[in-house]
Amino acid sequence: MEHNYISIKSLKADYRQKKQSVVALESVDLSLPKGQRGVIIGPSGCGKSTLLNVLAGLNQSYTGQVLVDNQPPICGGKTALILQEYGLLPWKTVWDNVILGMELRKKSSPEIKEATQKVLEKLGLLSMAKRYPVQLSGGQRQRVAIARALILEPQLLLMDEPFSSLDALSREEIQDSLLKIWEETRVTMLLITHNIEEAVFLGQKIFVMSSCPGHIVQEIENRMAGDYNLRGRVQFLEMCNQLRSCLRGGEYYAAGA
Amino acid sequence: MQQGHKTTGKTFAFLSSVVILLLIWWLVSLILKNPAVPPPLDALKSFVSAIQRELFTHLGVSLYRVLVSLFLATIMGVPLGIFLGKNPEIDEKIAPMIYLTYPIPKVVFMPIFLIVLGIGDTSKIVLITLITFYQILVTTRDAAKNLEKEYVLSVRSLGAGSWELYRHVYLPGCLPAILTSLRLGLGTAMAVLFLAETYATQTGIGFFIMDSLSRMNYEGMFAGIIAMGLMGFILYLMLDGAEKVLCAWKQRAS
Ligand SMILES: Nc1ncnc2c1ncn2[C@@H]1O[C@H](COP(=O)(O)OP(=O)(O)OP(=O)(O)O)[C@@H](O)[C@H]1O
Ligand SMILES: [Mg+2]
Repeated sequence: MEHNYISIKSLKADYRQKKQSVVALESVDLSLPKGQRGVIIGPSGCGKSTLLNVLAGLNQSYTGQVLVDNQPPICGGKTALILQEYGLLPWKTVWDNVILGMELRKKSSPEIKEATQKVLEKLGLLSMAKRYPVQLSGGQRQRVAIARALILEPQLLLMDEPFSSLDALSREEIQDSLLKIWEETRVTMLLITHNIEEAVFLGQKIFVMSSCPGHIVQEIENRMAGDYNLRGRVQFLEMCNQLRSCLRGGEYYAAGA
Repeated sequence: MQQGHKTTGKTFAFLSSVVILLLIWWLVSLILKNPAVPPPLDALKSFVSAIQRELFTHLGVSLYRVLVSLFLATIMGVPLGIFLGKNPEIDEKIAPMIYLTYPIPKVVFMPIFLIVLGIGDTSKIVLITLITFYQILVTTRDAAKNLEKEYVLSVRSLGAGSWELYRHVYLPGCLPAILTSLRLGLGTAMAVLFLAETYATQTGIGFFIMDSLSRMNYEGMFAGIIAMGLMGFILYLMLDGAEKVLCAWKQRAS
């Protein structure tokens, strides 16, 4: 049996406000093998971000069993998180943003310098190291966020709608780069998206979520994902249409079955 | 090149403003023909001669009072403000107290401070500190509260503890608001300083101005006013400079 890097059983999470409490997630089961790319897709407010925050160790007030590499999730371990607006600190330069995780891990400065140079070069950011985030385009900012995560050589990469504020072209470009990074590192990835094409292009496993309270309605094995030329294929469009109907409440049936 | 044009333009605007203000002053003195409003050149002359005598000591005393007060208000207001902004559940318990006491014009406590703390520097410093502390506290707290949640989440996910969050996120993120509140606080501090120095004291520019007034020494009085104005202006410039250096990232946006 494959080793599941992420394993979630009957997860329940709620937000308690003064008197009432909002149940954000109810009996969620999810597992993702090591080295796979998972995608979560679902309507707004169905608890996707909540789920990711639990996995990142940011939300500790949940019940049920959540294991990441057989451990309860913690911050600052082998998991990296990239948020929708990237969470880059505007008062730090690109360089200082990228080294932050290594600084917090008390790495030596020659080690930090070498790793930073390497990761910035890889993402084509070396010439922008001294700039501040406001001086970058959306796509460049996205790369900085990826660099900040990759420099820590994570085992698990969590991304919350990472490409949603990019235009269609930069979006596909960066999806390609992400795929390339995955091929090099074989990092386990779990990505949230609202975008059907993105889910089909990237996700080897697609988890379809539904709200009130948030739970997973479908888990789809997607063998097409990972092909750079996929977007032009007929099967790609078919798959997207099936996923679309599934999101609207229909049943998903495997293509060709 | 662009930058150069911008700087020259700014310098020009600054200098022309100075000239216009001096002209207005000169006109007002011409119209009023009153010894209490001397023309700029006479006023400057009396300032230069007064500053070489006892005015210098008074200026030093006033400067000391303002700087110590602002310093104390900052080292108390900033950490407490950030702490409350970061921990809303604690802020909820303390907020009503701040809400109730914030609008009270604290300057009315001056007589009490004079009785309890004496007529020396302490009562004046405590009064100015208390007033500016509130401004800094409230502004800093609100800035910390409204800080983008993604900054906090992303840095926490990198493994930052509480202390590191303060250092990398909250303090730099609130710095522009802190400096703004300091600049506003400076104006208040100078006004309160003047008031505090006009009563039951023999030192400070406030005393010097009112003392000159009572002796109908209008030249001296105006020299004191210029000293007070210059002090405020120079402190303001210093805070402005600090903001340019410490918040360089803000300027890059334009
Ligand atoms: N801090 C909070 N306090 C109270 N309720 C919250 C909080 N954060 C989220 N919720 C609620 O929990 C539910 C799930 O929120 P979550 O942010 O996980 O949704 P999402 O699927 O990420 O939505 P979106 O696609 O819009 O980002 C929503 O109903 C939301 O109103
Ligand atoms: Mg979300």
